[in-house]
Amino acid sequence: MLTYLLRRLLLMIPTLLGITIVVFTVMAMSPGGISAQTLVGGMDMKPQEKQALLEYYNKRYGLDQPAPVQYLRWLNNVSPIGFVTDEHGKRGEFSFNKGMDLGTSFQYGRPVSDILAERIPITLLLNLVTIPFTYLIAIMVGMKSATHRGSVFDVGTSMSMLALWSIPTMLAGVLLLGFFANVQHFHWFPTAGISSREAQDMPFLPHWDETGFVRGFLLDRVWHLVLPVICLSYGSFAALAKLTRTSILENLHSDYARTARAKGLAENDVLWRHVFRNSLLPLITISAGLLPSLLAGSLIVENIFSINGMGQLAVEAVKGRDRELVLSITWVSGFLTLIGYLIADFCYTLADPRVSYD
Amino acid sequence: MTEHAVSRESFAARIWRKTLDGAGVKVGLAWVALLVFAAVFAPFLANSMPLLMSKNGVISAPVLQYLSMEDTWVLATFFIALAVYRLRLGTAKRILLFLLGSALAAVLVNLFVKPPVLVIYDDFRSAAYTEADWRIMPPIPYAPTDYLRDLGSKGLEAPLVTEGHTHLMGTEENGADVLSRMIHACRISLSIGLIASGIALLIGVVVGGLMGYFSGVVDMLGMRLVEIFEDIPTLFLLLTFVAFFGRSLYMMMVIIGVTGWSGYARYVRTEFLKLRKQDYVQAAVASGLPLSSILFRHMLPNGVAPLLVAVSFGVAGAILSEATLSFLGLGVVDAPSWGQMLDQAVKSSTFNWWMAVFPGGAIFMTVFAYNLIGEAFRDAIDPKLSSKAGVNT
Repeated sequence: MLTYLLRRLLLMIPTLLGITIVVFTVMAMSPGGISAQTLVGGMDMKPQEKQALLEYYNKRYGLDQPAPVQYLRWLNNVSPIGFVTDEHGKRGEFSFNKGMDLGTSFQYGRPVSDILAERIPITLLLNLVTIPFTYLIAIMVGMKSATHRGSVFDVGTSMSMLALWSIPTMLAGVLLLGFFANVQHFHWFPTAGISSREAQDMPFLPHWDETGFVRGFLLDRVWHLVLPVICLSYGSFAALAKLTRTSILENLHSDYARTARAKGLAENDVLWRHVFRNSLLPLITISAGLLPSLLAGSLIVENIFSINGMGQLAVEAVKGRDRELVLSITWVSGFLTLIGYLIADFCYTLADPRVSYD
Repeated sequence: MTEHAVSRESFAARIWRKTLDGAGVKVGLAWVALLVFAAVFAPFLANSMPLLMSKNGVISAPVLQYLSMEDTWVLATFFIALAVYRLRLGTAKRILLFLLGSALAAVLVNLFVKPPVLVIYDDFRSAAYTEADWRIMPPIPYAPTDYLRDLGSKGLEAPLVTEGHTHLMGTEENGADVLSRMIHACRISLSIGLIASGIALLIGVVVGGLMGYFSGVVDMLGMRLVEIFEDIPTLFLLLTFVAFFGRSLYMMMVIIGVTGWSGYARYVRTEFLKLRKQDYVQAAVASGLPLSSILFRHMLPNGVAPLLVAVSFGVAGAILSEATLSFLGLGVVDAPSWGQMLDQAVKSSTFNWWMAVFPGGAIFMTVFAYNLIGEAFRDAIDPKLSSKAGVNT
């Protein structure tokens, strides 16, 4: 197992390299590209200051060099092993423990690693809340429509799931925000962010005190997450429910299910112990692709609900042509996706003992 | 003795008949047909100028005078497509004829259509146009870029509240009629959906075909490329492309196409891996046919069926991508688009429900329609993958 893990981790490196090369090429080939001029251009300052800033950018990031050299330079800074560089961009000697330096964001003027450390947990929180929620609903609905196939429930859900799947995330987001978080209609949920200011001082759990009910940090967070999580989850559970249904139906009619019934097992045991476990495999396969689609979904959802996560950061970075930020977000989201694939492969071994990677 | 009914129906005809069986697919096709109609005849459906008017005994058609080159070309192409459809020819010849015809139309339009450069919509509400003997106005008497300045439009008015004018779906932030903009926006959605997925399909078929046919090293390298494009969240890659390459309509089509081919490549690859050892392919290789002929004339038609399913889902995806980009403020700037209108629903301090419901509803209906069509195709082509799987066993 360990060798397999090691091999998979090593195989990630070329894919991650490829991802950054694609994105870097896009940026370098674009009209205007990334140059000190485009960064300094709009700012209102004296010519000498402008010149100084230009020279600073050129020296710090090597923006006056040809694109491949720039890329290699960035790669050297990011990779944990490579040449040590000092703050003037001079190359020192080769080292194996120089650490990763993601660079400094052009538009925020802060280290990229700091910004990412703030933003990634928020996006991960959103997605990690969404995934179990999605699976729970999908399995319930899929199971019910498979066992009652051809019933009104089955036909109804099969159509409405396709409809749900076709609702664009931004439409759902805008409607939910407009009707359930706006003072004009039902002001039930907060409009923006993932926690209110006063929640910072509250104790973690909800409780009663002399002023009345205090919702506490946890409940406040949950209250903020309701709408974004609905927005993120409905599309995936619609797709998953259809898949669950097909997969369970296939197994319900298989020989081993008939054998189990013939032995006199209760239908519930047949369903949950035998059929369900075998129907899990395609669901796990899909789960690998779920993470990238959720990451893309959080891009829209975070923009609608003004959540300061990685999705919002991505849009800002791309709009501001922030090279360091764009590249780092790219490989980090690529990395998360690959980790998702890896976890899915491990879940196979849990669901099906026949699968082994040794 | 039982009689065996021998069907002389071709494979394509059978797929087509089975596809059209369900009710959902008819709804989907009807909606797409409605969109095509709206897109082609947009200037006649929603415009500030009269369709026909008679003044002092002289009959004129201002709409025809002001028809832009794009409008004319779209109209011409539509009628060429109709004519080609009526002709009794093979598919390849039809496509070729259609492409030639539309190219010829583009050249002719560029040479001969010279619409007035400046259009002042206020003029059409002045005495010169209103005091006619009789005139026929379009069903929606507002152009998409007519901001109704002279009528004192404040923008963002709810449907049917404006006094003196009927805006069936309200007005947007600059004061233009939403329904009119939605009709004209059909063009962007339809053209992006078709052309972007066409480009994606082309790249996917070529890359996937080469991968599947050669397998081995080519396959391995190709799969790495596919994986790279799959592991970047597509929306993020799109965003990067659009932000760095500008936002013209044609650029967007290319970009959405270039970022969306990996799925098609996978499909074609698996299909070709199955086909490459078949006898007829071996025979084609043995008779020394050129590679392009083996790949596209002999192998592709046999692997094309599952691809059709992927394409109709792909069109839905491309339309959604365009809407999302416009929604995030990275879409086409000067033309109306559904996503951009949807964005205005929450941008101002109040929630403008009509800006969410109508354009958002249009995006939803279009995506839903293509998904329904895709679903029906899949059920017809591959009963094993069908959503009705297991029901009839």
